[in-house]
Amino acid sequence: MAEHGTVEPITGKYVHTEIGGTDHRIYFEENGPEDGIPLLCQHTAGNNCQEWRHLLTDEEITEDFRVIAHDLPYHGKSVPPTSQSWWEEDYTMTAKQFTETLVALADALDLDDPIYMGSSMGGNIALELADWYPDRFRALIGLECGAHSPGFYIDWLDHPQVNTTEVNAYSCWGLMAPQSPEQTRRETMYLYEQGANGVFKGDLYYYSVDHDYRDKLDQVNADECPLYIVNGEYDYLTTPDDGRETAKGVGDGATAVEMAQIGHFPMSEHPELFNAYLKEILADITGDRDETLPDVLTPDDVGIELQPPAPAREKPAE
Amino acid sequence: MNDTDLATHEWWERYKETVNSDPEMGVRGHDKFNDNFYVEIGDERFLVEMQGGKVRDIMPNPTLNDRWSFGVEGSREAWEEFVQENPPAFNHEIVASHYRSAVRNEDGHLQMRGDNKKIFQNLRAFQRTLDLMRVAHNNGGS
Repeated sequence: MAEHGTVEPITGKYVHTEIGGTDHRIYFEENGPEDGIPLLCQHTAGNNCQEWRHLLTDEEITEDFRVIAHDLPYHGKSVPPTSQSWWEEDYTMTAKQFTETLVALADALDLDDPIYMGSSMGGNIALELADWYPDRFRALIGLECGAHSPGFYIDWLDHPQVNTTEVNAYSCWGLMAPQSPEQTRRETMYLYEQGANGVFKGDLYYYSVDHDYRDKLDQVNADECPLYIVNGEYDYLTTPDDGRETAKGVGDGATAVEMAQIGHFPMSEHPELFNAYLKEILADITGDRDETLPDVLTPDDVGIELQPPAPAREKPAE
Repeated sequence: MNDTDLATHEWWERYKETVNSDPEMGVRGHDKFNDNFYVEIGDERFLVEMQGGKVRDIMPNPTLNDRWSFGVEGSREAWEEFVQENPPAFNHEIVASHYRSAVRNEDGHLQMRGDNKKIFQNLRAFQRTLDLMRVAHNNGGS
């Protein structure tokens, strides 16, 4: 627990970003040296940049990397564009809109050769970025990335007779490993309860419908821009085996790594373990790691001792 | 407890007590959970009657006289995995298990049945009652 009066070094700002001719006021948080390697972090569907708060305060990573986490338009503090009657149509995310937003944001922040990293829909989009914008990034890290992730574009996630706040969160509960600490799993769900109506479902249009690279993996330019496909053992949507298959389909430049004992929201469900895993990936990107990355990274590999299995409920006193 | 105790009369009694004393079941409207559901373990079906977020009764072999909104079905092996203190991936939570069954067509996972609208209207409370099977099975948590 931090000492009373501790002020975290994260700063938050807004950057005006033109996407498809429309001005968007995008909120982002950052920490790290101004001349550090930019590491642009994308949140999961329906969530916001707070998912990255534990990475933004990791002293080892922010010593060398300028970690930047943003809220996509309509998410977190990035309000919808003031020039559009956005309330007259359903919010729907597409691959084109998603990639244009990310590249426009990297341009607006004047990021030089950044590393991109995102999870879930932010992981899947790594394939489109490598296909369409391989020259814009130094490397791409697709967390929980797969060629196809069907079945999660669900009407009940935006329905007037359903408590969508709660359902949007707890339909994701099982995406996390039960071994991850209860406090951070609950915090991840709390963040899911922050989303505006229809935004989670709209993001999942990209995730489960628009994104389908099963027959297009040969278009992905990982030989031009290294692509890391890093999937958690407990991710039932895009499993580590899906990640391996995707990397195999992409071929040169694509590396699949399984993260043991963690799930689909690694950065927020178990930050200590994820940050340790990520350091191995980042060292591979910067050339500071001599050995090839293993097929599976385990807590033992990175010196993290897991707590005993988290109980679903504290044991009552005898 | 061990897996041979799963779904015995004593096991269900302990489960009922676990759900009915759970502090989370009353939070954010869960005490409005009034939809009965069934749990099918292999060939055995049990009706869990809910009233105000508490288990009113658990009845083996429900008949045409009984009512339920939804249920969960799976082999005994799948349930034994589900109630483990440290369950394996994809049988560790109901939506996870259902997804691997219904979308990915894999065997060996639990599957939800019944009225999907009712399931999503009660999702968190229903999910919590299922998670509490793990608590009951492991004597109240680790």
